[in-house]
Amino acid sequence: MKKKRSTIANTLLVAAMMGTALMGCSDNGGGNANGGNVQTGNKEGNSGTGTEKAVTLKILHNWNGSGTGDVDVTPIAEAIKEKTGVTVQLEYTKGSETEKVNTIFATQDLPDIYTGPAWGGELDGIVKAAKEDQLVDLSDKLASYPNLSKAIAKENVPPALYEKAIGAFGDKQYLLYQNQPASDKDAMDWLYGFYVRKDIAEKIGVDPQSVKTKDDLYQFLKKIKDANLEENGMPVMPLGGFSNGWAVGIGNTMFYGSDYQDKGDGTLEHTFFTKPYEEYTLFYRKLIAEGLLDPETFTQTDPIAKEKINQGRIAVLAAHFPAIYDATKEYVKSHPGSDFVAVGPLERAGAEPNRPVDLGIQGNNVTVITKACKDVDAALKLLDYLASDEGFKLVHYGVEGVHYDMVDGKPVAKKEFFDKFAADTTGKEKKNVGIGIGFESLTGQDRTNTLGGDIWADQERVAAMDQARAILRPNGISVISAYNAGDVIAKSPQWETLKPSMDQIGDVWKEAVFAKSDEAALKVINALRDQMNSTGYAEAIAYVNENLKGKEVVKLQMAN
Amino acid sequence: MNETLLWKRIWRHKLLYLFMLPGIVWFFLFSYVPLYGIQVAFRDFTFSGGFTGSPWAGMKYFQQFFDYYQSSALIRNTIIISALKLLIGFAMPILLAILLNEVRQLKFKKTVQTLSYLPYFVSWVVVVTLMQRLLTPYGGPVNDLLTSIGLLKEPIQFLNNTTWFYQIIVGSDIWKNIGWNSIIYMAAMAGIDQQLYEAAKIDGAGRFRQIWHVTLPGIRNIAVILFILATGSLMSAGYEQLLLLNGPATAAIGSVLDVHVIGAGISQGRLSYAAAVGLFQSVIALVLILTVNRIARKVSDVSLF
Repeated sequence: MKKKRSTIANTLLVAAMMGTALMGCSDNGGGNANGGNVQTGNKEGNSGTGTEKAVTLKILHNWNGSGTGDVDVTPIAEAIKEKTGVTVQLEYTKGSETEKVNTIFATQDLPDIYTGPAWGGELDGIVKAAKEDQLVDLSDKLASYPNLSKAIAKENVPPALYEKAIGAFGDKQYLLYQNQPASDKDAMDWLYGFYVRKDIAEKIGVDPQSVKTKDDLYQFLKKIKDANLEENGMPVMPLGGFSNGWAVGIGNTMFYGSDYQDKGDGTLEHTFFTKPYEEYTLFYRKLIAEGLLDPETFTQTDPIAKEKINQGRIAVLAAHFPAIYDATKEYVKSHPGSDFVAVGPLERAGAEPNRPVDLGIQGNNVTVITKACKDVDAALKLLDYLASDEGFKLVHYGVEGVHYDMVDGKPVAKKEFFDKFAADTTGKEKKNVGIGIGFESLTGQDRTNTLGGDIWADQERVAAMDQARAILRPNGISVISAYNAGDVIAKSPQWETLKPSMDQIGDVWKEAVFAKSDEAALKVINALRDQMNSTGYAEAIAYVNENLKGKEVVKLQMAN
Repeated sequence: MNETLLWKRIWRHKLLYLFMLPGIVWFFLFSYVPLYGIQVAFRDFTFSGGFTGSPWAGMKYFQQFFDYYQSSALIRNTIIISALKLLIGFAMPILLAILLNEVRQLKFKKTVQTLSYLPYFVSWVVVVTLMQRLLTPYGGPVNDLLTSIGLLKEPIQFLNNTTWFYQIIVGSDIWKNIGWNSIIYMAAMAGIDQQLYEAAKIDGAGRFRQIWHVTLPGIRNIAVILFILATGSLMSAGYEQLLLLNGPATAAIGSVLDVHVIGAGISQGRLSYAAAVGLFQSVIALVLILTVNRIARKVSDVSLF
């Protein structure tokens, strides 16, 4: 009897263990009961406005680092629901955006709406998805949505992007486009450059504006190194950046104008095959070898990078100004006089000293409705509303009368909220209202200045940015409208075999700057050049030259 | 008749088979069912076609891999790193198990055992972050300690340095897995008949003699089987660890097939190519296992099958 009880108990125990193990294998990640895609439109059957049916749509905001605050349903999300009947569930990407695009389509784990970068591997993934029937063709519906139509009208999209993606599918229309400046005054210059801590520049007795050439920059960094500066007992690194090497490589413009160069006979060559590229690589190799550039910058995570910056351990930072200003804010607050000031302006290869800075300013975002979306009309209604002036103001300024007021036709922030947002260094207060989260990527053309400017802008930040602009842009800026050879080569018949090789240029450059000698660095570069040649580079560049004959091509471009 | 006997035997030991069932289900679901996806390596994978509807591409992606200028370097790096892990890392858990087996203080033994298991449960992301903080030349405690006691004149860049790369990779792998991998040897040692130790003592054997003549023969079979299984991962050097610890400075010796597969498949969206490289790894692994199994059977009479 005892044995029997024991057997029953054992059997139950084993069954329980097995059940637990199998449950562990099951999909309990929020999947829906009908086994379909978890992100498909979920009709709730209730009305938001009395006339609309309430719909919940999942939007994948494919920008690494973006995210929400502490509040799930923000006042802005509530207002959007009231206007459109759509409850939005925003999902954010943590990690590589390109990987995310490839993964969602390969696994068919699709959101209702996807929104993400209008360039690189992310755009390639979306174009591939469009070609392979993964997206909803909007061509016969767009006439009813004027705000969306306007943003993708040929005259409102850079020609290369239009040819490659927005208008690349004949009669069909899959991609929507956001954040293209609606006018010149809406164009955003991020002010990429090298910035030095003012107190360190003073300590070593160098005026940051006297640094003009690559040799000046090298001597400047060397002086910082030789000063043997320390912060909290730790050495100060002359030059550093943020995570994964962003954006220490921007010194490339001292060596070459853009990714494709005129060989002198009117034909183009990829810069990777040129002598200036070798000089650029060897210059950075020297910085690493002599301890002038933080070698950890290429492998460090964002928290470690910011920790170094917050401890005052980086003398010169290479990135865009807003990132530097935000990352150094706390350190500057506790160490007055240590704010970062622009170095230079540095020489630009191939550009006259009085030439305005050439910037590629264009919309940064494309949005698509995936084939998994169950309510395409609701999705379009939502997107069209967000792209309207009313939607734009709601997403950027908050709820009128609550967060801001219209005074003489211009939006003015309510003091209560302005002070609250200004005092919050984490940015969460703003996000809890719904400002600065994924909705901002969906508001059509960029009309920030046209519609009243950034009413939440920290005035000190604006002043600091103006100061940096005065230094780095003495001749102003010029927005690039010419053709980009990089977009044309992607259409060459050799692209499928060539692309994997070209995707490696960045990694190979990093490997070369860590090489033990100049010869070893050039060997690393030459090995990839050979690979590119064997995978069709010569034919592809001939295709580029043929297609760009007689057209204006980008030969000078600064980071933006 | 035989079949009836088999079912009778299974029914007699039904509880034991029930214990095995979750493992069998797991292997079926996660190791056998996904095998149908292998065909992607021979197809031009499209989002719309999926695994079964994409057009056939023959050996195109295998050819692309062998034409790739770094394919031989990737294979070489993978084999070197996994061989080092196998040669050094395989012996360490045996050593730890023997040492723990010899400890008579039960409380101390349990404490050391528990502590040695812990790193196994820590993710590589955490381990590598810890290593970055401990080993950095800019205020890292390891460099500070070594310079303060005069062992180093200047701090060393341990990470992102080809000189220290293999030591770091193998060392961290051993640290993380030694405790967990020693469990099976501890279990094997627990099964050794204590009378054998008594007899050895009577014959005048000291502690080392007992280890040599009783403990080691007692775990020999399990060690051979684990070694055969371990050779199957010679073409796989450890995806997470290498992804996190390999950087541009060590790319020449640290780029391995596992990371290449992930990079090509997920980052570049070349799923068919990634599947082809992954299949190549698996086929080589199978050949290795079969070869080593055959050698083991001839040399020691112990084998998987």
